This record gives sequence, C-alpha cells and structure tokens, in this order.
Amino acid sequence: MRAAFLAALLLPALGLAEPATVARAVDLKKDPASDAATLAPLAEGTKVEALERRGGWTRVKAAPGDGWVRMLALRYAGAGEAKQGDLGIVQAVNVARTGTSGTQVATGVRGLDGAQLANAQPNPAQLRKMDGYGVDKPAAASFAAAGNLEAVPVDYPKAGP
Amino acid sequence: MSRARLLAFPAALALAALPAQAQFNLNLNRLLDAGKNLKQATNEVGEAEEVQIGAEMTAKLLGAAPLVPNDALQRYVNDVGRWLALQTERPDLPWRFGVIDTADVNAFATPGGHILVTRGLVARMRSEAELAGVLAHEIVHVLKKHHLKALQKTAQLELANTVAGSYASGNAGALQRREKLLSAGSELFARGLDKDDELEADRLGVVIAARAGYDAYGLPSVLQTLQAMNPADSSLALMFKTHPAPAERLTALESMQPVMDATAGRPQLAARFNGALGR
Repeated sequence: MRAAFLAALLLPALGLAEPATVARAVDLKKDPASDAATLAPLAEGTKVEALERRGGWTRVKAAPGDGWVRMLALRYAGAGEAKQGDLGIVQAVNVARTGTSGTQVATGVRGLDGAQLANAQPNPAQLRKMDGYGVDKPAAASFAAAGNLEAVPVDYPKAGP
Repeated sequence: MSRARLLAFPAALALAALPAQAQFNLNLNRLLDAGKNLKQATNEVGEAEEVQIGAEMTAKLLGAAPLVPNDALQRYVNDVGRWLALQTERPDLPWRFGVIDTADVNAFATPGGHILVTRGLVARMRSEAELAGVLAHEIVHVLKKHHLKALQKTAQLELANTVAGSYASGNAGALQRREKLLSAGSELFARGLDKDDELEADRLGVVIAARAGYDAYGLPSVLQTLQAMNPADSSLALMFKTHPAPAERLTALESMQPVMDATAGRPQLAARFNGALGR
C-alpha cells in the first residue's frame, strides 16, 4: 500500500502518463507550436496518454507516436468520459498531489456546503486578521521583481465570448 | 415612482422599526431604497458601501471556515493577489486575500476586494502561475461587481414577493422579510453567479494574469486538474454546483488562446509556490 502510494507520488515528476481523451479533432504536432510539423490528425475521442505540459501544449503518447497537442483540447478521466478502470489511476495522482502539500485532507470532515455558509455566524476577529495581511503597492512590486515578473500591457477581449 | 421603489419602501419602514439591526441589513436596505431599477441601483452604490457589504459577507465566510493559521502563507497570497490587482482598473481597492482552512475545493470573492481560496484548492495547485490564474478569476468578479449586482437582484425579488404577502400576515411577515434579507448574501454563495459571469471571469482573469507577467495557462491548468477529479468527490460538490463544468470552461477559453500563447515561456514559479506551502 505504502509502495503504491509512493509510486503514485512520483508519477507527475517522472512524467508518467495520465490517460486522456481528445475532446475535438486536433493535429498531433512534432513540437509545441502551431507552425510545427503535423505528425498526424487525431479524431475527436482519440485516447492518448498525457506526459507533460509546456505553455499551451501537452506532450502526449498517441497511436501514431509521441507529439504535442493543444492542452485545451484534452479531457482527463474522472468526468465520466474514461473507462471505469482509468479512474483509479487519476484518483491516485490526485491523492498524491494533495499529499505533497503537507496539508493532509482530513477525512470524515464535511466540506463547505450551502447550508454551512448560510448558517455561519460572522467572525469579525478573523476578518481583522485577514485585513492585517494587506500588502501595499511597493511591496507587491518588489515581490514581482523577485520572481522576474514583468508587467505587460494586454487588452481585454471585446465584449462577449 | 417605480414599482420596485414602491415595494421596497414599506420594507424599509418595517426594518427600521426592528431593534438590534445588523449593519448588513441596513446596507442592503439602503441599496434597495436607493435603486429605482437594478442598473441605477448598482451605479449608485458608493465604493465605501461596496467595501462594507463585502467585508460583512467575508466575516460570514470566515465564520464558516477560518484562515489557515500560517502567516507566511497568508502574506504570500496577498503578495500574489495585490500584484495582480495592480494590473487592473481598480488598483486602489483595499484588496485582501486569504486561504481558508477547509478541504473543500473552492474560491470566493466578495464586493470591494476580499478574496478567499480554500486550502483544498491550493493543495491541488502546482505553481504560482496556477494560483495567480485562480486569484485573477476572483478579482474579475470584484471588478465587474458580479456579486453586488446579483445580491441586489435577489434581494429586490425577495422583497417584492414577501412584501406583497406580508399585508395579511402582519408581524410574522415583517420577521420573514428580515430573515430573507439577512440570508441573501450567503445564499448567493450557495447558489452561485450566472454562467456568463463565470465565463467572463475566466476570460478576463487570463488577461490579468498575462498583464502581471505570468504564464497565463495557469487558470486552464487548474481547470484541467479539477476536470480530472472524480466529480462524485464531496469536496467538489459546492463548486461544481455553482460553476459551469470545467470541461465547458476549458472549451470556452479557446477564444483566449492567442493571449495565453503570447505568455509562453513566462514564469510559472513552481519553486516559490511550493516554498510558500512548505512543500
């Protein structure tokens, strides 16, 4: 059991596959770029193994070979699209992701549901605590600089999707 | 005098007569009284009032789940959040960010700039770019006043219904009205916003993450993680009930692909994120 858990923990780091399905027809590309050579077209519903993401592209193992597809076109097991057998693997990965946080998810504790939110009593002390964590503009700017984050002008899209 | 105002006015009198009014009630009441119609009411809510209403909604959320007792983590999410907020049209709101102590997977925004994300959601993220994507989505709800508008709409409808019915039931009707007003804010979190508001928050959130210099694929990455989870997982129940399905949100984000692609190679900051989480 413990060995299985550890193996699951290492899955993402080792780049081992996660079963996925192509949600629409896409091209399997040689490199993660629109102008890269197309290895093969993949039809909607094609099963692949997702390996790693780079920007908007995910490297997959598909029947025609390894290549890159648009990450937005991939859907993973768990949403009822995959076979029953696939679910276990995905769940193991998710448990692992939770486990690596060091903040174990408590079992047997109910999550936040609508009734809990509606019946909660206000906690002004916690609000004061939260307000005390405020960050001013210069501090935010140095934090960004420390991470090599540079502000870039980008326009909002025109109204509507 | 419009129909909405006619209906709201007796309710205002009834509320004023009740002792020990919660501030929340008064604010809602003032909102309603000020508005001849929804659009005008929204325009007339001053920023101070917007912040006050949001603070009270936040206090209630914190009553349901307190902050994770980790100063470094709370300061870190405020660093990320404030940097994002500085890239928006409302940089001077009193922006505050927090991680609340629940395994549930969710995030909440309240009017005026208080934003909460759950420990359960943060635990499933892999980088600061993913955290930034989620915070930017919530920031859009504040910028566009999605909750404020929904709250006013709900409260107005409920008032219209209960005031009409209360003439027969007297005091009982007044009490019922007061309870309805009190619960309007928290019911909103149980019911969720309109789907269009959520999809707008995704689209504009991606822009804000891009402006802040991040790899803007952070938000879709989180959506893909959520999409891969077992939908029967109880920690997802409220979020799945109140948001469009992750698969639908991913498809809707295809229109933003050019904006996100322009951020290729920008920082994801996985190491800084993991450090802040003590991983």
